Amino acid sequence: MAKNVTMAEEYLGDHFPGFPVLPGVMMLEAAIQTAAWLVRQTTGFGHSLIVLKEARGVRYGSFVAPGQTLTITADAVEISASRSDFKVKGMVGESQAITARLELVHLNLVDTDAALSNIDTIAITAQKERWQTFTQRSAVPALG
Amino acid sequence: MPMTKDEVFAKVKEVLTTALAVDDDEVTPEARLSEDLGAESIDYLDITFQLEKAFGIKIPKGELIPENLFTNPEFVQNGKMTPAGLAELKSKMSFADLSKFEADPDINKFRDIFTVDTLVAYVMTKVNA
Amino acid sequence: MRWIWIDKFEKFEVNVAAVALKNVSLAEDHLHDHFPGFPVMPASLMIEGMAQTSGILVGAAREFKEKVILAKIGKASFVRLVRPGEQLVYAAKIVNVTEQGAAIEGTITVRTMVAGQRVELPVGQIDMMFSHIDNNMAGTKFPEFNFVFNSQFMDLFETYRRELNIELPA
Repeated sequence: MAKNVTMAEEYLGDHFPGFPVLPGVMMLEAAIQTAAWLVRQTTGFGHSLIVLKEARGVRYGSFVAPGQTLTITADAVEISASRSDFKVKGMVGESQAITARLELVHLNLVDTDAALSNIDTIAITAQKERWQTFTQRSAVPALG
Repeated sequence: MPMTKDEVFAKVKEVLTTALAVDDDEVTPEARLSEDLGAESIDYLDITFQLEKAFGIKIPKGELIPENLFTNPEFVQNGKMTPAGLAELKSKMSFADLSKFEADPDINKFRDIFTVDTLVAYVMTKVNA
Repeated sequence: MRWIWIDKFEKFEVNVAAVALKNVSLAEDHLHDHFPGFPVMPASLMIEGMAQTSGILVGAAREFKEKVILAKIGKASFVRLVRPGEQLVYAAKIVNVTEQGAAIEGTITVRTMVAGQRVELPVGQIDMMFSHIDNNMAGTKFPEFNFVFNSQFMDLFETYRRELNIELPA
């Protein structure tokens, strides 16, 4: 999945003043989110919360600046019902910006509190809608 | 404190599996740190710190990985190490097997010198000094 | 969104260890996407909180002269979800600092209420490494001036320094 970096991301003003670059943890978050979408597709959106359990061997290789695109590749080592393992990589052109191994866990609130099943539904519905916006392939209307 | 090569290898293996997030069986004596085990710049520093801790040794800057060799025009010409450069490298890294690099002294292939065996050989000189 | 993921230092011992706090608040935009209906603090931003706590600790060890950049996270593991209204505690300890870079061990806990009692519970553990890029990143382009410990940051740090009586090495 691709992430464009833009000066419109306000936090870049702090990171860093005079030298805006995508924070390393944002590259990590992009990788976690890419892996999570793969989990959702594989499990049919079966969980409301998909979160990081453990990250290992995360190494940063190059800066990513506004105007550049970070392309994340997440390779699933294993995806089971309640957890998954990934090898992830983020490239900017030919340069490797990040590499990591991730372990995610997949949760539903209803498993700890039966009363919260409607909240699981809210979260899952929102994620299904977000997935729609990612995968829309309709042509962009011409301006006339 | 004297250690055998096997003892040193076992501990070096532990350090590398942790530092490089690789599996035990990937760490063979001939495995190259960068090419085979995916070691990046920062990993060399991590490995240095962890070897110091694991073996109770001090690794001064430039002792494991020689410095200032590539910026010297006497030692590097047209991307290849000169005979003078190779001589300097040999004296600085007497613990290492440099035969492959001597056969093709392309400086882009310098990192290939660092195999698991190279680390073991270096640690052996420090613990059996 | 400002890129400040710690709110205050509770302890600061130059060259040794530091403890910083972060309040988790629904005023933080990103929580509303993570996740809709059940906001929890993203792991990546807890890693950043630890990175900022330890980056400053590492910086102070060399008088903020180096450009301290997060280079590696050896391992970051999490055992608890953190919710708005709770307070994160980042405790960082220096393992090693040299001219080339530094290694840090960190523990994250959360101060919260359970059954009417104030408790502090484990959240995670992180091992991370910083690079002093002036001495280390041959071939990468970056500015001469210290963009990491910039004047904006140093002004903020001055308030901590005075409150906690932090003595920087001469």
